[in-house]
Amino acid sequence: MRRLRQWILMSAFVLATTPALGAMQPAGPAAQDGFVPASQLPPATEQLPATPLVAAAYAFMWVATLAYVFLLWRRLAAVDRELTTLRNEIGGKP
Amino acid sequence: MQRVFVPAAALCALMFAVAPFLVVGAPYESTMGLVQKIFYYHAPAGMTMFLAAFVSGIASGVYLFRGSRTGDRIAAAAAELVVLFGAIVLVTGPLWGRKAWGVWWQWDARLTSSLLLWMMFVAYLLVRRYGGPGSEKLSAAVALFGMANVPFVYVSVNFWRTLHPKTSVVSTLQPGMRGPFWFCVGAFVLLFVVLLISRVRLAQQLADLDALYLQAGDRASA
Repeated sequence: MRRLRQWILMSAFVLATTPALGAMQPAGPAAQDGFVPASQLPPATEQLPATPLVAAAYAFMWVATLAYVFLLWRRLAAVDRELTTLRNEIGGKP
Repeated sequence: MQRVFVPAAALCALMFAVAPFLVVGAPYESTMGLVQKIFYYHAPAGMTMFLAAFVSGIASGVYLFRGSRTGDRIAAAAAELVVLFGAIVLVTGPLWGRKAWGVWWQWDARLTSSLLLWMMFVAYLLVRRYGGPGSEKLSAAVALFGMANVPFVYVSVNFWRTLHPKTSVVSTLQPGMRGPFWFCVGAFVLLFVVLLISRVRLAQQLADLDALYLQAGDRASA
C-alpha cells in the first residue's frame, strides 16, 4: 500500500514537472510558411571572427620560436662561460 | 660551419621580416577567407617538421650503425626541432580548423598520425634526458621509428577519409599564393638549418666540457 502511494506520488510529480521542463527549453526560430528566396535573407554576419584565430596562430609561432632561441642562447652562453673558467683553471695549474 | 651561420641567420631574419607582407598581399581563398592565411605558416612548419624527423632518423641510423658521435648530436638537435615545429603545426592547425571545419580537432588519420609523430620525438627527448646510461642508443631507435612514420603521415590524407586537405593542395595553388607559400617554406627551412647548427654546437661544447672535467679529475687524482 505504501509502495503504491509512493508510485502515485512519483508519477504525479513527473507529470506535473514535464510541461515546466518543456517551457524551459530555449525558443527556436518561428516556423516558416514557405521557402524564402536567398535575396530576401538578412545580410550574412560572420559567426566566428577569423582575425583572433589568425593572430593567435601567428603569435604562437613567434612566441614558440623566440622562446626556443632564447633558451638555446642562454644554454650556449652558460656552457661557454663554464668552458672558459675550466680551461683557465686547468691552464693555470702546472 | 660558423662562416655559414652568420649570413644564414641574417638571411633567415630578413625572410621572416618580409614574409608577413607577402602573406598579407596574397589573394584571399574564396571559401575560407582570412583564416586561410594560417596556411602560409602551418604547412611550411609541417614540411620542416618532416625534414627534421628525416634528419634525426638518418643521423640516428649513422650513430647506431657506425657509432658516430656527431651523428648522435645531430639526431638530438633535430629531434628537439621536430618537437618545436610539431608544436607550431599542432597549435596552428586547430586554430584554422575551428573556423574552416567548425571543430578544433578530429581524430582522423592525418591529425592523429601527426600527433603520434610529435609524441614519438617528445619520447625521444624524455628517453635521452631521463633514460640513464645507454639511453642514446634507445632514443636513436625511437628516432628511426619516428622517421618511418613520416611517409605514413604524409600520404594518410590520400588513403583515408579526412577533413584535412589532400597533398595535391600545394601543387594546385594559385600563382598569387604560390610565391608567398614557397617563400615561407624557404624561411622555415633556413630557420631549421640555423637552429640545427646552433644546437649541434651546444652539444659539441657540452661534450668538450665533459672531456675537460675528466681531464681536471685525472690531474687532481695524479
